[in-house]
Amino acid sequence: MSFRRKLFFGRDPYSREGGELFLAAMRETLEKNAAGSDKYAEILKREGFSPEMLKTEADLANIPPIPTLYFKRNRLFCVPESKLMIRAASSGTSGSTSEVGFDLSTLLIGFGTLRRFFRFHRITSIIPTNYIVLGYEPAKHNRAGAVKTAHLTTKFAPALRREYALKDNGAGYDINIEGIRKALLGYAKSPFPVRFVGFPAYMYFLLKTLEKEGISLALPARSAVLLGGGWKEFSGQSVDRAELLELIEARLGIKKERCFEFFSAVEHPLAYLKCACGHFHIPAYSRVIIRDAETLEPLPEGEAGLLNFITPLVSSMPLCSVITDDIAMMSAEPCPCGNTAPYFDLLARSGVSGIKTCAAEAGERLVDS
Amino acid sequence: MNLVNGKILNDNEARDALERLGELVLEARFSAPPSAETVIAACEKLGAMGTEFIPLLMKDGMSRERAEAEIELARSMLSREKLEARLKLELGALEAEFTPIDSPVPVRHSLAPLGTLLHIAAGNAEGLPAFSVIEGLLTGNVNILKPPSNDGGLSVILLSRLIEVEPALKNRIFVFDIPSSDTARMKKLAAVSDALIVWGGDDAVRGARSLASPDTAIIEWGHKLSFCYASLEASDAELLGVCRNICETEQLYCSSCQGIFLDTEDEAELFAFAERFADILERAAAEAPSAYGERVRAQKTLEMRTLELEGLEKGMRIIKRKGCAVIAENKTALEPSLMFRTPWVRPLPRKRILKTLIPYKSRLQTASLICPQRDREALSELLISSGVVRLCAAERMSEAYCGMPHDGCMPLSRYVRIVSGELS
Repeated sequence: MSFRRKLFFGRDPYSREGGELFLAAMRETLEKNAAGSDKYAEILKREGFSPEMLKTEADLANIPPIPTLYFKRNRLFCVPESKLMIRAASSGTSGSTSEVGFDLSTLLIGFGTLRRFFRFHRITSIIPTNYIVLGYEPAKHNRAGAVKTAHLTTKFAPALRREYALKDNGAGYDINIEGIRKALLGYAKSPFPVRFVGFPAYMYFLLKTLEKEGISLALPARSAVLLGGGWKEFSGQSVDRAELLELIEARLGIKKERCFEFFSAVEHPLAYLKCACGHFHIPAYSRVIIRDAETLEPLPEGEAGLLNFITPLVSSMPLCSVITDDIAMMSAEPCPCGNTAPYFDLLARSGVSGIKTCAAEAGERLVDS
Repeated sequence: MNLVNGKILNDNEARDALERLGELVLEARFSAPPSAETVIAACEKLGAMGTEFIPLLMKDGMSRERAEAEIELARSMLSREKLEARLKLELGALEAEFTPIDSPVPVRHSLAPLGTLLHIAAGNAEGLPAFSVIEGLLTGNVNILKPPSNDGGLSVILLSRLIEVEPALKNRIFVFDIPSSDTARMKKLAAVSDALIVWGGDDAVRGARSLASPDTAIIEWGHKLSFCYASLEASDAELLGVCRNICETEQLYCSSCQGIFLDTEDEAELFAFAERFADILERAAAEAPSAYGERVRAQKTLEMRTLELEGLEKGMRIIKRKGCAVIAENKTALEPSLMFRTPWVRPLPRKRILKTLIPYKSRLQTASLICPQRDREALSELLISSGVVRLCAAERMSEAYCGMPHDGCMPLSRYVRIVSGELS
């Protein structure tokens, strides 16, 4: 059994016992990545790094970190493209998308890990469930990773029905507010639990609509809300988490213990779950380094910087050390939720929206033409 | 927010007003336009109220210092002195009375407004949409404004204050807050207009062209690029001027220096120059801390890191310094920088200036030229024949002066017709 399999197949996703195993799995995947891609091997060489230099946890910071932006502009696979079982594109809040591809071994380990992670958090269920998907209906013309994740999330309890907020019309999507409303009122009369899956912003708008129409439901016990994927284009409206949870309880009768908020990225396909205290605890098979927003030097706990994920999961692409667009902070304080694994908090996304410029666009067009 | 006949209307009321817009415009044009003097007096009063708009600007996250500076700039642009000077400089020479050399009948050339202007404004500078309307008023036109989506009602507030101080302007200012995507309603605005004044990038211009019928003029104030052309002899003091412009404007304006074209073909010279320039930029950046915070810095860091990884194949060198970076690349193309103090340095030997820059001629705006005196005239001519419309010292690239042409034209002259009449 490879070190990677052993690491991901551990029983307790938050165990901190397998430090040596984590390093061994990292070396294994890094070697595989470098052997499969001359370009990646060249990057490692130029930055003076080789997998056998990975001896302690502190050495993890020396793996050349690659921003997700790099994958939005470059394709870099470590296996022949014919070996890629699925491809997904990031949803590209800022306009451009990453294309990632995963081979069979990555998928098997990834899905298995996700299943165990969900079971650990008691999110998997055998009770048939009605779904409201607050996102896109899967369609041939949409390869966004978020669609796949949302669809996958409806597999963790057997689906009776799924209603989508954005319905496929063959070429694009229609907003399906009426359909959602009707489905929800129908589900409320059924004895089966209801699950909401998708983007928090859509959830918020749905709740606001219910509030405006004075609708309060008491959905069956075991109903749940599974949110992930950030606030998307509604980031200006991002609401307080406590307000969202209160609205959910008031309008749907779902208690906050049954509301799960996830964090994930197409370029780092692992799930992080927000705990009762609002922190993302780091599982045994990944590490987080916070880097200075200017120098990219690793920062101590308690300082905010760019979020760098380290994991040996992906063999088909060099995703061992990926920097996302997020600004985050690690903390050394023990978390009152009881989970002893280290955790990070998401603080913001890099960049600012609505920058006013009259210079940029002129050139972008020229480069295209 | 919408504004019709001096009244602020909600979207439903504005829809009704839009149906009657043709009549309203005709009604306004039936009476003689308020004189330039009337407009100037009103602008002066509006400028004097400047400070009351500071909180409005700060609402969008602008710092108090920036807001105060913007208001001071607006007050100066609206001052009697400047507006009168502009009218004289931009329009004065167009008016004349004379006997033509080939005709015995004496004639008078006088100015008349184009008629009705539709201003499709861009969101890159606060107050600019309202200022565009004021230029239309000064030239006697009826004005319809389509504010940018991020306007936040500022234009309506400014223009309704202007009407308050001078009620004679009320039927010559319309604001319809319509999204550009609503082509049906945008076409209604265009249909009653004689000319469309378009501010913004290619998409805005393309959009405006699709709205206008062939008999409607389109006046474009598009997005432009500016740069510095330097020879290897450029002194540190001269380069400091470039750095000051880069830091002050964050490379966000049409007139901001995006990078330096260096008169060389030698890669080693290019990289050595870039290192020297980076040292100077770092000093200038330290003197003028950026008003943009950690999120912008983080984004720039990610872009630089990505370039660094990509640069492998491209012969590119990224010289990172505290608060800034210089990207030296052996590539001859005019492109925007990544902005926020990240200029490029690229080789452009003088013999290739024309060939390289002519394809960008409609995009070129300001150039600063740093070279020995003996080369100045020849290089200036090359830059001008490539399409550059302003040459000045680097530290003044983004400083405007009264009566300055805008992208190669006198703005006010584009909003009038020259009418010829016989004097008997």
